[in-house]
Amino acid sequence: MKGVALLGAAAALALSACGGGYTSITLFTTDWTDDGGKSIDNIRKKLANAHPPPGTDVAVAVAGNSDKLIGQPLGGGAKWTFAHPLSARPVIAGTVVVGSGGGELFALDAATGRRLWSRPTGGLKVRGAGDDGTVTVISLSGSTEVGSTLLAVARDGAVVRQIETDRSLGAPAVLGGFAFVPWNNVYVSAIDLLNGDEAARVVLREKTSRAWTEQRELYFGEIGIFRWDDHIKDAPKNQASHVALPVRELPGSPKLMEPGTDNPGAAAEAPDRIRIYARPTPGEEGALGIEGGRFYATYFKIAMGFEATKGTLTWVHTHGSDLIGGAAGAGGVLLCDEQGHLTALDAKTGGVTADVDLGEPVKGCVVQVDAWTPGGAPAAALPLADQLSTALLNREAQLATAKRLLLRELASLKDEVATKTLVALASDERTSPLLLPDARQALADRRNGERFMREALEHHYDYLKDELRSPPVGPIAQALAVIGDTSAADLLASHLLDTSDSDDDVKHAAEALVKLASADETPVLLQFFSMYRASAPSEDIETAVVSVAQALVKVGGAEGQARVLAAMHDPMTLPNVRERLQSLVIVAPVEPPAAAADGGAPAPAAAKPKK
Amino acid sequence: MRRIARCLSACLLACAATATLDPTIASAKPRKKPVVEAPAALPAGTLEKLQSGDEASIKSALDDVRTAGKSAAGAAPTIADVLGRGLTADLTVAAIDTLGDLESEAASPALASYAVHRSPPVRQAAVKALARTKGPAAVAALRHALSDDDPMVRGIAATGLGALKAKEAVRDLFVALDHKVGEAAASIGQLCSPAECDELAGKLGKLPFDVVTGGLDQVLFRPTSEVDDDQKVKIVGRVRELGTQEANKFLRDVQKRWPATWSPRVKQAIDQGVLATSGVSQ
Repeated sequence: MKGVALLGAAAALALSACGGGYTSITLFTTDWTDDGGKSIDNIRKKLANAHPPPGTDVAVAVAGNSDKLIGQPLGGGAKWTFAHPLSARPVIAGTVVVGSGGGELFALDAATGRRLWSRPTGGLKVRGAGDDGTVTVISLSGSTEVGSTLLAVARDGAVVRQIETDRSLGAPAVLGGFAFVPWNNVYVSAIDLLNGDEAARVVLREKTSRAWTEQRELYFGEIGIFRWDDHIKDAPKNQASHVALPVRELPGSPKLMEPGTDNPGAAAEAPDRIRIYARPTPGEEGALGIEGGRFYATYFKIAMGFEATKGTLTWVHTHGSDLIGGAAGAGGVLLCDEQGHLTALDAKTGGVTADVDLGEPVKGCVVQVDAWTPGGAPAAALPLADQLSTALLNREAQLATAKRLLLRELASLKDEVATKTLVALASDERTSPLLLPDARQALADRRNGERFMREALEHHYDYLKDELRSPPVGPIAQALAVIGDTSAADLLASHLLDTSDSDDDVKHAAEALVKLASADETPVLLQFFSMYRASAPSEDIETAVVSVAQALVKVGGAEGQARVLAAMHDPMTLPNVRERLQSLVIVAPVEPPAAAADGGAPAPAAAKPKK
Repeated sequence: MRRIARCLSACLLACAATATLDPTIASAKPRKKPVVEAPAALPAGTLEKLQSGDEASIKSALDDVRTAGKSAAGAAPTIADVLGRGLTADLTVAAIDTLGDLESEAASPALASYAVHRSPPVRQAAVKALARTKGPAAVAALRHALSDDDPMVRGIAATGLGALKAKEAVRDLFVALDHKVGEAAASIGQLCSPAECDELAGKLGKLPFDVVTGGLDQVLFRPTSEVDDDQKVKIVGRVRELGTQEANKFLRDVQKRWPATWSPRVKQAIDQGVLATSGVSQ
């Protein structure tokens, strides 16, 4: 039977030397029969009037060479610093900050940075902590690679309880003298700190590795959030008060919470930059929801706000540096960046509501928001299409994954700014190859913003003018053809003769001209048809030749018809082209001009692409 | 009112009520154009072969025209017409080269249209030919070709503009030179006004020496009616001021080629420049 191990490691001895009772070896056994919520209901009734004290609103950053903590109380207190080697991410629990490093575990007053206590640990790292104002319960990595140490320490530094187990314990919370400890992904055990007994256990029907308190309530969760209320006894029947975020695609596939069994290092890593922030609705009455109806996600420099029931994107904030930590609060989210700025963003618009400078770049950051709300109105925020445009036109290559998602969001908007942005993305040589096909497809699917498309078509490759990338002619041609914008016909025709356009782009331009061309385009159509009918260098250009023939038959008058007819019978015309020309049905004009009578009109004057 | 209906086969049924294939049109074979008499230098029937629509005959006729050379310039309009209707890839290049050989301005518009062909070798051939057929259409096409995405096309176009004495293209050539189209320097040297020649000399030290002196060499050997002695002495002085081994080499080369009957004053400046830059190390 697995359970609590005897203290053996040097670190454990160091801890145990300071006292504290030992616990029952029946702790954390899986040889346990589900009691249907009975034991946890007993504890619930016992703690019916117990509520966690308010937590300190504070941001704590790891700075220097991971040897310095900077604390910034959000409620207006003075910034504090605390020098100490750090081997794990500090944890804010209620009104204390718990850190570890240099072979020592320590607790600070979160509001002032004053050291409350410290204890030797022999290198164990903090995973999570809870605090009820008198006792701090901390889960630490075990003295070996597996297992955990659970420690309850009073304000004076005395160890109230110490438990070592080969189980991997999650992040604990404390309430009314009981430590609530998630473990084995599905259990939360209530451990009586007076005697160390497991007073109750509840099985939760969703992966759970964290217990925490906020806004004077107790919660459990990881994938979703369970509330400690009268329904907790129904958790085995999957009827506890619970809320989860809607399933939706997010860049980097972040989770609501990282597992409480992880040992995050002091410095932020990729998962800290790819995060979700949300917090439950306050109070223990009513259905559990997500506060403000909003949740937030970050992806390096991008922060996004989402509506919490359907997951609809509502705003995008493009930041100046990577966002590495934060917390959701009332009315928005507070984010910490690696340049040492705390930025509060409005829940509804993403507008900045507060910005605080910690004074130096930081390596890691944790934030606790309990009652704090930013004062003042948010800065004016642009419409969503413009916000998306800003994010998408950011040159950061690292953001390509997020940009793909944002591009799809942009493509779903009817705002003409979306077309403008897609044109810019598809035209920019710096656009990531990951993003380019999506941008081109989205552009082809647009049904507005023709003026931006026409503006783009006015550009051609021009070596001397340093215009070294052709516009996205193909997608624009597809869109304009569906829209039926005949005013773009001359521009599209000019791209038939642009040697820098891709064969695919030329093919689509030719297809669009079948619908959009007028007699004005005849010279260019004739030139293109003649040049390539017998020497098209690719299948795309062969297809373009056939499309141009269709356009010529339609708008090229007798001369156009005659040229196409002659080509049908000319053995030099490429076989593929000739065969497809046969499918064209041509009706004679009423008054065939004399030039057509000989089956070969004069060669057209050379047309050139517009510069 | 549109009298022409066109449908793809896919929509043939839908269009059937109105769009009928007109047999008189659909079966129409192109009628032969009235045969123009072949230039005397060409074998009889050459023009008919050019218009035959038969690949081998056209090739053979083009060979005959090239053999006849400029004396067959009268065939240029026919070749230009055939080219304008479209040929196979091989015949296209052969026709373009032939038109270049004929040096007939009448061919320039047809050649200009091939200066925007998707195949770089075709564009290179067209631009090269345009430098020989001359005329406003050729100049316009070559100026346009300076912006081509193919470096060879740009280089040939720059050289061609010099050969065409296209002074109106000098500003374009300067831009091309600044965009590493080295061939532009020589053309600028052939065409520049005094101020523009100074501007070219000002590129010494900024652009590769060989590139700039490729243009200055042209300036120095232009007749006095175009570039006076003062200008030439000034340019020799600019090169001399560099004081480098390559400057010495350039000046020595100019010294060797300087015609004995040309300006003694410029000759003296060159001689002094050679002396002044002798013995310098790079």
